[in-house]
Amino acid sequence: MDLEDLYRMLRTGHVQAQGIVDTVPDPMLVLDSALTVQSANRAFFRTFAVERYDTIGQHLYDLGNGQWDIPELRHLLGEVIPKSSAVIDYKVTHDFPKIGQKVMLLTARTVFNPDNVSHLMLLSIVDITEKSRKEAEFEAVFGELRHRLKNVLGLVRALANQTKAEGISGEEYRKVFLGRLHAVADANDLAFSDHGEDGLEALVARATKPFQTAPETIVIEPGPAVTLVSKEIMSLSLLLHELATNAVKYGALSAPAGTVRIGWEVEQGDHPLLKLSWRESGGPPVGKPASTGYGTQLIKFAIAYNLGGQVEQNYRAEGLEAEIVVPLERAARPD
Amino acid sequence: MIVEDEFIIAMDLKVMVELLGWQVLGPVARVADALRLLEEERPTVALLDVNLGHQLVTPVAEALRSRGVPFAVASAYDKPELVGGVILAGVPNVGKPTSERSLLRVLETLSMS
Repeated sequence: MDLEDLYRMLRTGHVQAQGIVDTVPDPMLVLDSALTVQSANRAFFRTFAVERYDTIGQHLYDLGNGQWDIPELRHLLGEVIPKSSAVIDYKVTHDFPKIGQKVMLLTARTVFNPDNVSHLMLLSIVDITEKSRKEAEFEAVFGELRHRLKNVLGLVRALANQTKAEGISGEEYRKVFLGRLHAVADANDLAFSDHGEDGLEALVARATKPFQTAPETIVIEPGPAVTLVSKEIMSLSLLLHELATNAVKYGALSAPAGTVRIGWEVEQGDHPLLKLSWRESGGPPVGKPASTGYGTQLIKFAIAYNLGGQVEQNYRAEGLEAEIVVPLERAARPD
Repeated sequence: MIVEDEFIIAMDLKVMVELLGWQVLGPVARVADALRLLEEERPTVALLDVNLGHQLVTPVAEALRSRGVPFAVASAYDKPELVGGVILAGVPNVGKPTSERSLLRVLETLSMS
């Protein structure tokens, strides 16, 4: 039953008005031309926590200590209705002293009695408080999602721009770029994982997995549990990716018998330090490269810039050794 | 001066701004580092990320305003002032991802003001 049906039935006068009014699931008032409440339905009493005897026969604006004396409602009933017989879904937000803020959609319709000049007004009040709260929540979540998406796109843009294109083929560029993109995507997965996979061990395993061509080529030594925050995950993930890429190109992972051992410890104290080591062996003899490549710069920047850490690379004859030291003070405290 | 906490984006902004013929102060990732830089030098313009991990860039914006240094934001927020406070209202936003074109236009406008 909607307002339209009710209107028609009241006009033809076939049924008891109160019975009909009570079947309407949303709060509803029947007012006379002086705005005195003639009838109200159960939904009205329930939603606005009022009693029948306090309501019927009262002037609308006197109801519940004047809690319906709302400027927008006065405007609607006094100015709009007389000129336009019906108003649909007029939104009103109002603070009720007892039940708090309500967001309502008001629909009003004038019903003329053909026998005399008097008329009644039907006022239906749809309570959309909960719905608009959910909409606002959704809006906030959606906004945050949009913001994160733009940030990720910004990161991808920077990654594409910061991957060297000079002097190499398109295929090579694509390979390097996609490798880095995967490292970022993996880091993103770990950072937003809800399975407690934000630990260092999971990160090392995941970052090195694509380079683990045979068992025992990359050995992860057991170390203490370390929980990381998202930017540490991002930086360390890219660091391991770059080290592994270089090992495949020039280092231990370019030879069949070469291995990489990764281990870590935490130096406790007022400012705990994470010390991560990467040791290559069994590869071709290495020497310090003539120029530092972009990968090395990326590694140093990744650790130094926002983690305040250091990377030291030793080109030993038996293989590259990298020591990464990162202060863990932020990560050690839950935030 | 560039303030941005995400290191790859910071690196990229620095390179872009340098390619446009500017000299870069920073980049720095934290409010304290930015304020320390401002004690030592006075940049012509500043480019700020709004959300620096667990900090907001607001104190840096306030320090710049009080020194009369014009600044822009590089933010993924449509309305950075809702996040970083009223100090960011009406400030040009080069957006995120940041294009060279919008960066150049904003830097030129700011440095002439």
